[in-house]
Amino acid sequence: MTPPVLATREVGKRFYDNVVLRGVGIEIRPGRVHALLGENGAGKSTLINLLSGVLQPDAGAILVDGQERRGLTPAEARRLGIAVVQQELSLAPHLSVAENIALGAMPRRGGFIDYGQLAHGAGQLCARLGLDVPLDLPVERLPLGQRQLIEIAKALWRRPRVLILDEPTSSLSAHEVRTLFGLVRALRATGVAVLYISHRLNEVLELCDWVTVLKDGVVTADQSLEGSDPKALVRLMVGREAGDLFPPRGTGGEGKLALAAHGLVGESLRGLDLELRYGEVLGLGGLLGQGQEETLRALYGDLPLRGGEIRVDGRTRRAASPGRSADAGIAYVPADRKREALLLPLPIRYNLVLPALRRLATHGLRRRVREAITAASLIREFAIKANDPRDAAQLLSGGNQQKIAIARWLPLSPRVLLLNDPTRGVDVETKREIYARLRRMADDGAAVLLLSSDTLELVHLCDRVAVQRDGRIVAELDRGRLSEEAIVRASLGMAA
Amino acid sequence: MATALRTHSVGRVLLHRVTLTYLIVALLWVVAGVLKPGFASAGHLRYLLELAAVMGIVAAGQTLVIIAAGIDLSVASVITFSAMMLPLLSPAGDPSGLAGVAATLLLTTAVGTLNGLGIVLLRVHPLILTLATATILQGALILIAGGSAISVNNPAVVFLGNGKLLGWPMTIVTWLVLGSLVTALLHATVLGAWLFAIGTNDRASRLAGVAVGPALVAAYAISGFCAGLGGLLLLGMNRQGYVGIGEPYLLGSIAAVVLGGTSILGGRGSYLGTVAGAVLLVTITALITVVNASAGWRSILFGALILGLLLLSGRDRESR
Repeated sequence: MTPPVLATREVGKRFYDNVVLRGVGIEIRPGRVHALLGENGAGKSTLINLLSGVLQPDAGAILVDGQERRGLTPAEARRLGIAVVQQELSLAPHLSVAENIALGAMPRRGGFIDYGQLAHGAGQLCARLGLDVPLDLPVERLPLGQRQLIEIAKALWRRPRVLILDEPTSSLSAHEVRTLFGLVRALRATGVAVLYISHRLNEVLELCDWVTVLKDGVVTADQSLEGSDPKALVRLMVGREAGDLFPPRGTGGEGKLALAAHGLVGESLRGLDLELRYGEVLGLGGLLGQGQEETLRALYGDLPLRGGEIRVDGRTRRAASPGRSADAGIAYVPADRKREALLLPLPIRYNLVLPALRRLATHGLRRRVREAITAASLIREFAIKANDPRDAAQLLSGGNQQKIAIARWLPLSPRVLLLNDPTRGVDVETKREIYARLRRMADDGAAVLLLSSDTLELVHLCDRVAVQRDGRIVAELDRGRLSEEAIVRASLGMAA
Repeated sequence: MATALRTHSVGRVLLHRVTLTYLIVALLWVVAGVLKPGFASAGHLRYLLELAAVMGIVAAGQTLVIIAAGIDLSVASVITFSAMMLPLLSPAGDPSGLAGVAATLLLTTAVGTLNGLGIVLLRVHPLILTLATATILQGALILIAGGSAISVNNPAVVFLGNGKLLGWPMTIVTWLVLGSLVTALLHATVLGAWLFAIGTNDRASRLAGVAVGPALVAAYAISGFCAGLGGLLLLGMNRQGYVGIGEPYLLGSIAAVVLGGTSILGGRGSYLGTVAGAVLLVTITALITVVNASAGWRSILFGALILGLLLLSGRDRESR
């Protein structure tokens, strides 16, 4: 076996009293795709930060090519060929695709940027990633999935020996995931060491050769992935029998019509028809960027429409705005919880009551006690791990933040719930809680519309799945015809 | 790692900053009182508070607007506009003068409402829109008043500026009433809570069902009202109005808000802090007047002091 190019020996890290990593050893070898698994808060991000020089270990050592590196800095790590693709995108929004890819390592000639070579190199990388975008387009004009691919191109630009991918597929479409996998395999064949962090177990099983599992800052498994199945992986991560991730389905689908969209035309929507019934979980799938998010926003009243009509309980809706929708019992959970859902610097308690503020108040006067009681009961019911409800929401982990994004609607008892990829970047345990919650709300009579980039979720949680392509619903798959293949085929525009 | 970032609750940090500003004020009063007997006499301090009342009232509206991540650059022009329009809006047949006061406040509130509507409906940045409003008001004043000074004989306004209620100057009483109302609005009403939400993240607030547009219009309307009221107080205190009477209150109101610990980026702040900021500003102005220096040097000293104090107390330390 080839010796590890990057490794840790018994590293430990603590933040004040909080021990995040303890005696962790990991060996990343050339020509191997190494999965790093663990629930949110298990210490994965900290380990990545240690490996890339962002943080310094309190104990143990970081080894590059077998040599101990003390005081490793990010710049040094880059020079040694360690590249990280972070979960939080770090692109400069106003700069072009090519400039972003080569940021900090521009090809130069005589003190000036060599735009010819830049275009050539960036173009080649884009082609390898299946990214068909103009190189001079500002990155901010691209959808999230393509920005993620550019982030990967940026890492590859420096020809790394170690490539660390943190949740690279969470915003990619099925097709883009295929291309990325092909690329990772090609890199493996040329001897690049890949560390792959993902919450999607089927991807890990398909792509990776080796797995290290972290739990509460300790390595609980370090083994080959040959012959593993998803259940075994979940057991390793959670530390107990995980059982089925998805709750049993109810009798949904027979309820009355809650929302009906007819011929919607607007940004990214080209004559969309959709019916959502009370008591069902309707999935909304398709390739990324086919207007699914716009569909949810249109139903919520956040997207100006040029044509078509939306009926709520059979009545045509005239003026629409998020505020009116919220008053009418329609709730929306955005995909980007940090930017569109939570008010990060404000207290957890405040975040939990924000949509219901007016409902909880009398004549516009806030009722603090009522608010506190409501927030406390939501924290309990959703098992939100918060030390103090007065703490800022940004102190919570991603999974707990996502729980707030959903929980805060409950005091309004919404009849219609529109969710935009609510389990993106969320750990397994929280996913399971969210699934159970959605199912229970549907059983209680609510209409749930779930936009998801996770096909597994669409197949196993939803009663029905509508597949969107090019601003239209191109297929509706009821339970009898629901399968991953059927969804992917419809997404790609093939006959079902 | 998020847990490493554990800080005190937002409220506690705020209280701390506000306390700091009050401490600076107290320190200045003590030092000035020792160096210059008479500065810390009850009469002089009450006079300072009366001056601070106008600043505090104008800055009340500014506080609401800045907490909602906006800014109102039209306050100075609205103050002047209010002072100059009052005689024109006071009907001869009203001996109490209250009709003129009501009409003027209605007018300035309408100006504020237009500010808000422009920002919300036309989506013009508040910096530009309120600056345009200021310029338009100045032009209108030249057309209407022709640049001459006016004197006031409206009894209601004279009472507001010079009268006493139960031994207290009306300026301070007015400030107390308005200050309590604004504090209550910020911390005890849905509108106040929404302003904090909008200032933190307006997109997320909108998606959470917050009526962002109406809330912003309300904030700017209140700012117009406050500036109008400030103008009337100033007119009553001086017994005359002239073009430019409101000028010191543009930078002053913003500085008072920021000195009081309200984030210029929005989402965080309190009116109690602004009160401290207003008193601090007026105190510094008074201290500088005592210094024997030319007007130019006094101005430079004033600017430098504000900058120094901001670095000391009001600076945004938290990184996001």
